Amino acid sequence: MAVLGRRLRRRQFLQAGAATAGALILPGRAPAQAGSKPLSGITLNIACWSSPYAKLLSDYVPQFQEATGAKVNYETPSFPIYNQRTDVELSTGGSSYDVLNVTFIYIGRWIGAGWFVPLDGYLKDPQKTPADWEPDDFLPGATAAFKNPAGRLYAIPWTADIYMGGAARYDLFEKAGKPMPDTFDELADTMKAVHMKDGVPGFLPENHYGWSFIPFLQGYGGNVFRDPPEDLTPVLDTPEAIAAAEFFAKLLHDYGPDGAISYTYEQVVATLKAGRANYSPNGQIFLVQMGAKDSKVANTCNFSMCPAGPKGRFPGVATHGWGIPTGSKNKDAAWQFITWALSKPLIRQMVAERGYSSITRRSLIDSPEFKGKLTVNGHDIVKIYLDTIELGTRGYMKYRTIYVYPQVDKQIDIAIQNIASGQMSAAQAMRQAQQNSLAELQRAGIKL
Amino acid sequence: MNSERMVVHGAAALLLVVVLFPALWMLQLSFRAGGDIFDLSFVFTPTLDNYRVLWTGLFPSSFGNSVVVSLAATALSLLFGVPAAYALSRCRFKARRPIALWILATRMAPPVAFTIPFFLAYRFLGLIDSLAGLVVIYLTFNLALVVWLMRNFFDGVPRALEEAAWIDGCGVWSGFRLIALPLAAPGLVATGVLCFILSWNDFFYALILTRTKAMTAPVAIVNFMQYEGWEWGKIAAGGTLVMLPVVVFSTLVRRYLVGGLTAGGVKE
Amino acid sequence: MATQPASIERAPRPARLPRAAVPGWRREQQRSFALGLIPALLVLVAITLGPTIYLIITSLTPLDPVHPHSATDFSDPAGNYRALIADARFLNSLWVQMKLSVATVAAQLAIGLGVALLLNAGSRFLEAVRTAFILPMVLPPIVVAVVWKVIFTPDVSPVHRMLAAIGLPVHSLIADPAMALWAIAVADTWEWFPFTMLMALAALQMIPGEPIDAARIDGAGRLALFRYILFPYLRPTLVVAGLFRLIDSIKAFPLIYVLTNGGPGTATEVTNYYAFVESFNFSYWGYGSAIATLMVAGVLLLSWIIGHLGQGAERDE
Repeated sequence: MAVLGRRLRRRQFLQAGAATAGALILPGRAPAQAGSKPLSGITLNIACWSSPYAKLLSDYVPQFQEATGAKVNYETPSFPIYNQRTDVELSTGGSSYDVLNVTFIYIGRWIGAGWFVPLDGYLKDPQKTPADWEPDDFLPGATAAFKNPAGRLYAIPWTADIYMGGAARYDLFEKAGKPMPDTFDELADTMKAVHMKDGVPGFLPENHYGWSFIPFLQGYGGNVFRDPPEDLTPVLDTPEAIAAAEFFAKLLHDYGPDGAISYTYEQVVATLKAGRANYSPNGQIFLVQMGAKDSKVANTCNFSMCPAGPKGRFPGVATHGWGIPTGSKNKDAAWQFITWALSKPLIRQMVAERGYSSITRRSLIDSPEFKGKLTVNGHDIVKIYLDTIELGTRGYMKYRTIYVYPQVDKQIDIAIQNIASGQMSAAQAMRQAQQNSLAELQRAGIKL
Repeated sequence: MNSERMVVHGAAALLLVVVLFPALWMLQLSFRAGGDIFDLSFVFTPTLDNYRVLWTGLFPSSFGNSVVVSLAATALSLLFGVPAAYALSRCRFKARRPIALWILATRMAPPVAFTIPFFLAYRFLGLIDSLAGLVVIYLTFNLALVVWLMRNFFDGVPRALEEAAWIDGCGVWSGFRLIALPLAAPGLVATGVLCFILSWNDFFYALILTRTKAMTAPVAIVNFMQYEGWEWGKIAAGGTLVMLPVVVFSTLVRRYLVGGLTAGGVKE
Repeated sequence: MATQPASIERAPRPARLPRAAVPGWRREQQRSFALGLIPALLVLVAITLGPTIYLIITSLTPLDPVHPHSATDFSDPAGNYRALIADARFLNSLWVQMKLSVATVAAQLAIGLGVALLLNAGSRFLEAVRTAFILPMVLPPIVVAVVWKVIFTPDVSPVHRMLAAIGLPVHSLIADPAMALWAIAVADTWEWFPFTMLMALAALQMIPGEPIDAARIDGAGRLALFRYILFPYLRPTLVVAGLFRLIDSIKAFPLIYVLTNGGPGTATEVTNYYAFVESFNFSYWGYGSAIATLMVAGVLLLSWIIGHLGQGAERDE
């Protein structure tokens, strides 16, 4: 095995040597001559999880290669694979990638640990960012997620997934004389009225409660941390938090399908599309699938804003964006890719040719070509989308940017499961979550 | 005797259906079109779409990678492990038991424990996303398996014959080749099959240590678990395809797994 | 050397001199054996020593890649271990692990042995069927997990629906804190019983024919045959198979990951899964390494004990 390593290292030295010599001799790196491309000789390694947008973009990558002369290795593994690989890569200080997607559930960790390059320098430099690229065109609610507490920007958002309410069988709502619920009380009321009508269970959120429960937590006046990012004391055992947990878990227990706490987001989407569950508070990316061609509920679905609690409306906003890892050896070229991918002409071209693209630019959302695309079953999602993004600017999503949130997230998952499965009362479960979260933060070296 | 045989056959057949039910159900899933994946109807129009779509994209190459890696890992493990097992079985020396236990210990660490050090080492050596890298790390669980299983099977072959041969001037390894190995053949085949299966099905190491060039089949299947919904048809088709080579392999060597109580004895 | 007459160089060895009479025969034999054993040992040392040392060293630090300096922070080497002993979640995971391991190893041994005995008679049908039975083990574990996830989801599972149709509705097992672990045990046993079956079959086929024929002639019934002839031959194999299943049960991952994620609550969070969550979701590598080190130590101890008990009946000692 040692022999193998030695051989490989020798090979790498030879390759590096040849490359250096080549670079010096060949005209590729010489001052720009007429006809030579700006990035020729550079290879960019880019990865994102397999969202429709990322897969769509791969069809346009040849355009980029053609224009700049760069070679692009572009991969789109599935969500869990992408996240696991990227996390190992970043946490071990790798330099295998030049452009990476910053996944929303890892923003706190990847950006908080300084594994991505701050982009303000690039944005302010007229050489690196053309004036008509208009960075301010991106929805502030979306960019806010990628700013660290000091306000420096680390990624450009290509999607903002908003938390809203969706009903698969709105016809059952109508039969019961109920509109889409706008408050928690209305929600409880409506669920009671439509549960098991036509054999369809009423309520089904995804079992990642650290995402699907928080709007309820905050709607009752509770929160995850006392005052992120300054005060990271968890506040999961306040009376508001306990009340919220009890309410949410009761909805799950009383109006969810059998085994509701085992339903992951993919299951929820499949179940909704098959018309086997009715109302789901979830991300827009998932809920709009109900209008897809192969969905059985394309003609009976409806949508509304996330319901409001006694203390207000706090819909979650989950953003993904393109960023440059600090280990990248081609940062300038990487930035060129990002500006190209999220440039207005390209986005418009994608929408025109394929009906979809990144929708974080205000100018795109306002454009007439796009207006029709975000309508499902005759319901206008755009207004819900924009209103929710607007709400998101109030800053209640800061808990997501804290790098130790995953630990607390897991405790919240456990707590809701404990309550909904009858293992503990809401007070017991939330108190346990609080204590365990404190221990986790301590283990992470956070002084409270 | 005949009625007894029929009872045995009947029980075996029934057991087979019960045991195979989940796998058979997955098989029929792979022939269903997307929308009605969970319909309970027995009658449906089968479609090869899921398989066809599978064959474009990364799946075929990942399949090939799995074959190469599993065969290489099995061959290497047997090459190093079988002689070691024989030595442990036949040679009586003081450190025998501790060494055997240490060999077993090498495979006790959960994959979580080894992933990071191997990842760092492979990055330095340039073995990330390489088939060779996977083969090496698979030795960490296959070698101990081969040594322990084959030692057990060699123990089941009485020393008497080899001792006689040794006294007659036969070398240790000739005795191994001519006497012990043929008699332990069923064990060897079983061990080889197990090695192949364990290498074939590894997911965790392949996930972390490969990217696109050396991706293996189990990792490729997870790619069908998209963010917006599991593509059941493709997962079922992928699972069916992935299990085929191993089934074929086992069928080819089943001759050595065959034989009743009347075969393979040592006539004293 | 060159002046030696050819006749001396060519002096033939005495034809039928027994090996045992040649001095140094035993040592030569030992050397031959060493030649077979040492390469394997070298390979194992090469690929496991480094990672193991890394593991133990890391367990002495609060290593967390988000804080790079923590990699060499040896200020409190026993810190992780102290925290583990006081960690209720870790202790819970040990208890869950024990329940799961005992249940699955026992079930796999029993079922594997039973099926092997059933299939061991010589008949063409049974030979063909033998290969089919290894199918569950051959499927990629991630696919097995996904298939069983569906089987355990009442809404879409054919099994749940059939049971409901005949009037025995069963509620979701994986969402039931009391049943979730046993549901996983069932799926795990389904997946791995072919391992013990294969081992038992191979061992059965290596049993010499005479003791069995002799016993039959003496009128031994099926049960006596099994108890006094087959089982003693099978026992070492079963011990080894059980040992391997025990070690692998501790590494169980895909089923828990897909079926329950350690839930409901922490009802199915086994130690390996807890280590995974701590290491890969929260990047507490130091803490995760400490858990892994304790796991390995525990399994090593267990194996040593079982090895001692199981080899009590070793034939050549």
